Amino acid sequence: MGADEIQAAMDAAAAEVLETMCFADVLASAAGPAPADGAAGVPAVTAELHFEGDPPGWFRAGAPARLARALAAGFLGLEEPEVSDLQAGEVVCELANMICGSLLSHIPSETVFRIGHPELVMTVRWGEGASHRWFDLGEGILSVSVELERRA
Amino acid sequence: MEIHVLIVDDSPAMRAFIRRVMDLSGLEVGRCLEAGNGEEALHLLENNWVDVVLTDINMPQMDGEELVRRMAQHEVLRLIPVLVVSTDRTESRMQRMLDLGARRYVTKPFAPETLREELESSLGVAHGSR
Repeated sequence: MGADEIQAAMDAAAAEVLETMCFADVLASAAGPAPADGAAGVPAVTAELHFEGDPPGWFRAGAPARLARALAAGFLGLEEPEVSDLQAGEVVCELANMICGSLLSHIPSETVFRIGHPELVMTVRWGEGASHRWFDLGEGILSVSVELERRA
Repeated sequence: MEIHVLIVDDSPAMRAFIRRVMDLSGLEVGRCLEAGNGEEALHLLENNWVDVVLTDINMPQMDGEELVRRMAQHEVLRLIPVLVVSTDRTESRMQRMLDLGARRYVTKPFAPETLREELESSLGVAHGSR
C-alpha cells in the first residue's frame, strides 16, 4: 500500500468517524504532523493502540484539550462544560479505535486485524516510517498517525 | 412495551453513546444494564432478564466472541438476541459472529438510525411502530 493510498484511507476513515459519531465537520486536512499553531495544534490528549495482523502496527490520535472536550460533547450529547477530563480521554480513545478500524478495512490483507485496547499516552514514540495526517475541525486540529511494521 | 437492554463494551464512552442513541430512537427502553466485558455480562444475565444484548468483540478478560458462544450454548440465554457492534469490518469476522449465534452485526462508526433499525430487526419490531 503506497503512501498516497494510506493518506487517502486516513482521510476517509477520520472523516467518516468524525461526521457520523461526533457530528464534526472536517474543514481542512493534509498530510504531515499538525502545524504548530499555538494551543489549537498541540495534541494534549493522545490515544495510542497496537494492532495485530498483516501488517501489524501502531495507531495514534491526538487532540488539544479544547478539541477533545468538544468532540466528547458531540459524542456524548453533553454541553462542553459538562464534559470531564476523564470523558474527554475516553472519547479520544474510542475515536482512535474507530478511525483505526475503518483505516485497516482499507488495507488489503489476507489476515483479520485485531485492534488492541487504546490507551492515553504522554510521550510519542514513532519510527521514521509513520504516516501522519492532520484535520482542522474548527475548534482545533486532530492529529492522526499510523505506523505499519515491516514484515520479517 | 418497554425493552430491557444489556450493553457490553469496554469503552464507557461507547456504552454512553449507544445508550443515548437508544434514548433518542423512539424505542421505549426500560432497564439498561452495562458491562465492561463478557464475564461481567454473564454475571448480570444470571439474575437479570433482558430483551437484547449489544456487544463489542475486542474486550479484556472475556471477548464478545466467547460471550456469544456461551450464550448460544445456554438453555435460556440463547433465546436473547445478540447484536454485535464492532470496528471489525472483515467479512470472515462478521460471518463467524453470525455463525456463533449473533442475530445482527453493526460496524462502528454507525449512524444512529442504523443502530435503531438493527435493534428493531433484532427484536422483530416493525419500523416506526412504536
